[in-house]
Amino acid sequence: MPQLTYLEAIRQGIWEEMERDPTVFCIGEDIGIYGGAFKVTDGFIDRFGAERVIDTPIAESAIVGAAFGASLTGMRPVAEFQFMDFIGCAFNQIVNMVAKAHYRWGAPAPLVIRGPSGGNVHGGPFHSQNPEMWFVHAPGLKVVCPASAYDAKGLIKAAIRDNNPVIFFEHKYLYRRIKEEVPEEDYIVPLGKARTAREGHDLSIITYAAMVHVALEAAEILAKEGIDVEVVDLRTLSPLDREAIAQTVGKTNKVIVLHEDVRTGGIAGEISSIINEEAFDDLDGPIVRITARDSPVPFSPPQEEYFLPNISDVVREARRLKAY
Amino acid sequence: MAKKKRQKPAQAAARRSAAPLSNRNQRSYTIADHRLEMPEFSLRQVRVGDSVRYEVKGDLSAPVPPIRDSKYLSKKQCIEIYRWMLLNRKMETALENLYKQGKVVGGVYFGLGQEACSCASAYALHKEDWLGPMIRNQGSLLVRGFSARDIMMQYMAKAGSPTKGRDASSHFGDIQSRNVVAPISTLGDLIPVLAGVALGARLQGHSIAVMTYIGDGGQSTGVTYEGINFAAVQNLGLVLFVENNLWGYSTPADMQFRVKDLAERAIAYGIPGVIVDGTDACQIYDAAHEACERARRGEGPTLIEAKMMRMKGHAIHDAADYVPKPLFEYWRKRDCITRFENYLVNIKKWLTSRENAALISEVERVLDEDREFAVNSPMPTPESAAGGVHCEDGCHQIKPKYGVPKVSAGTGKFKQTEAAVHFR
Repeated sequence: MPQLTYLEAIRQGIWEEMERDPTVFCIGEDIGIYGGAFKVTDGFIDRFGAERVIDTPIAESAIVGAAFGASLTGMRPVAEFQFMDFIGCAFNQIVNMVAKAHYRWGAPAPLVIRGPSGGNVHGGPFHSQNPEMWFVHAPGLKVVCPASAYDAKGLIKAAIRDNNPVIFFEHKYLYRRIKEEVPEEDYIVPLGKARTAREGHDLSIITYAAMVHVALEAAEILAKEGIDVEVVDLRTLSPLDREAIAQTVGKTNKVIVLHEDVRTGGIAGEISSIINEEAFDDLDGPIVRITARDSPVPFSPPQEEYFLPNISDVVREARRLKAY
Repeated sequence: MAKKKRQKPAQAAARRSAAPLSNRNQRSYTIADHRLEMPEFSLRQVRVGDSVRYEVKGDLSAPVPPIRDSKYLSKKQCIEIYRWMLLNRKMETALENLYKQGKVVGGVYFGLGQEACSCASAYALHKEDWLGPMIRNQGSLLVRGFSARDIMMQYMAKAGSPTKGRDASSHFGDIQSRNVVAPISTLGDLIPVLAGVALGARLQGHSIAVMTYIGDGGQSTGVTYEGINFAAVQNLGLVLFVENNLWGYSTPADMQFRVKDLAERAIAYGIPGVIVDGTDACQIYDAAHEACERARRGEGPTLIEAKMMRMKGHAIHDAADYVPKPLFEYWRKRDCITRFENYLVNIKKWLTSRENAALISEVERVLDEDREFAVNSPMPTPESAAGGVHCEDGCHQIKPKYGVPKVSAGTGKFKQTEAAVHFR
């Protein structure tokens, strides 16, 4: 089985869907001859032609609006945002035009909006954000954040086939840093389902995207101290897999929610409330949140390190929670 | 002595700038203007005693021009458009009455004075074309196949409304047969969406016209620019009616933009622009027809500025006291239905007085029926608000509307590459 990077897995997923379904097309800035700023669509225009790999002016509202319009005729657009930080430029189209379409006038919007998000790459405030919660907050959208190359391919294929608008956040730190065996054949990873990245019994870390790997590394360190950590990778933030959340709390009785997103308004608050509703009696200790600080993402490496959650944060909190 | 020396360069410069520039440094553009009158007036804020008001300056005494004969419409078609305009106006009168009877939920928006623009424009669309109406284009929804009862049920928030009570006024659409995109409340957002509809059709090998509207107020938004520019760059068949009705809520056109005519904006996008009299149904239709034909031939977008005035306030609660009275008088004389009625009955003699009265009666009868139906139809149950947030469990089968896209197979292969990285 070939080894693919997280980025190549996404590329393969979109490629396969475009081969399989002639209604799928790509639209975005610099995705044609240049192959995309991160080269996700490298080779696409040669294979699929300029009609299906459309370079646009710098106009995010038009990109989303046009993708939505095309989806009304039965096409399945995949709209790229060069950096998900720029999604603010299309915010109104996404939350007001697209998200509400099926509910209020029965028009499904089978489009995917995808692009790189996340920090730890010295990108500064406008190239490092985790904007997912703005869209988790809008009913009608689905929000997906893969953490592995295998999941990235399966989830992008599922997102393209989904009749709902999906915002697909690709963590740029993972683009070329993780490489794993990815099956060459057609397979789907279902939206709305979490996976257990590591089985454990002492406490659970519920997390997603790049922090999954931070949690796994922390788990290795903690294992040596006899603390057996379960890591649950949410994969989809909206809809959340409430069952998986309740299940892991029922199993270990202690939980850390870890995310690279800022603290206030991050999904840890939402998950804490869900645990309160679904599994309160299973808790043997308070729900711990490990998150980025409430500030814009600073640019200078030592500052960004201060801002982001890291392995030692996780190890420290896990020890404390275990001892509670 | 020094002073003289300083004057010399200045004089020389003055001489240089006084000399005419060669023509190659000048550009000129033409905007076709089909109107039979070109009124010049402006609005400013002035202080009158203790208050600040709008004052109109300019000659408002010109006589009402005749309707310009259409190049394309037959007698039968003119009468059909006239009927749609009547239905549009009388439906809005009925809505006003329903509001006063306390039967409407929320406000009512009127397109009074703009019925020619709504109806004659939509009349130029073919079945496979698409429409994106704005709030005052309720007439276009009627032309497109929705009924007065549909619109009334929307306003009364009834269970049988096209949105099943979930949205108000003209915020509804139909992707199956009538090809109408539902608007949202923010302005300009329909423009890139309609452009995208044309894009989707083109990817399926079909060249269609897509028509939407924007006001003198609405065209100020950024998404308006992005949408028109995208359509222009992609050469999509967008027929955009810029309805310059002189008021964006309480803000006059003079405070929305600096250009003399909004059709000039077309130059900025690199597309044709044309000005028509928004109260002349024939001019509206001709411009719409030509733009739609251009669109279907794959020649790209057209911007049509229709000049008229909004004859009521922004919505029913707004008395529009800020509008100087002389302006109302000027545009009242130019009422699109009065003018068209006069044209059909007195000028072309295509309708006798009796036929006209019969037509009006028929429209009123249809409206009475629709009003009865709408008023007596049930409100939705509270539980009906649940569900439909997502498209799940096969509630929609999504298929390409115009045909499966033909894909060209290039020789490119899937690439496994180590390409340039932006960040560490």
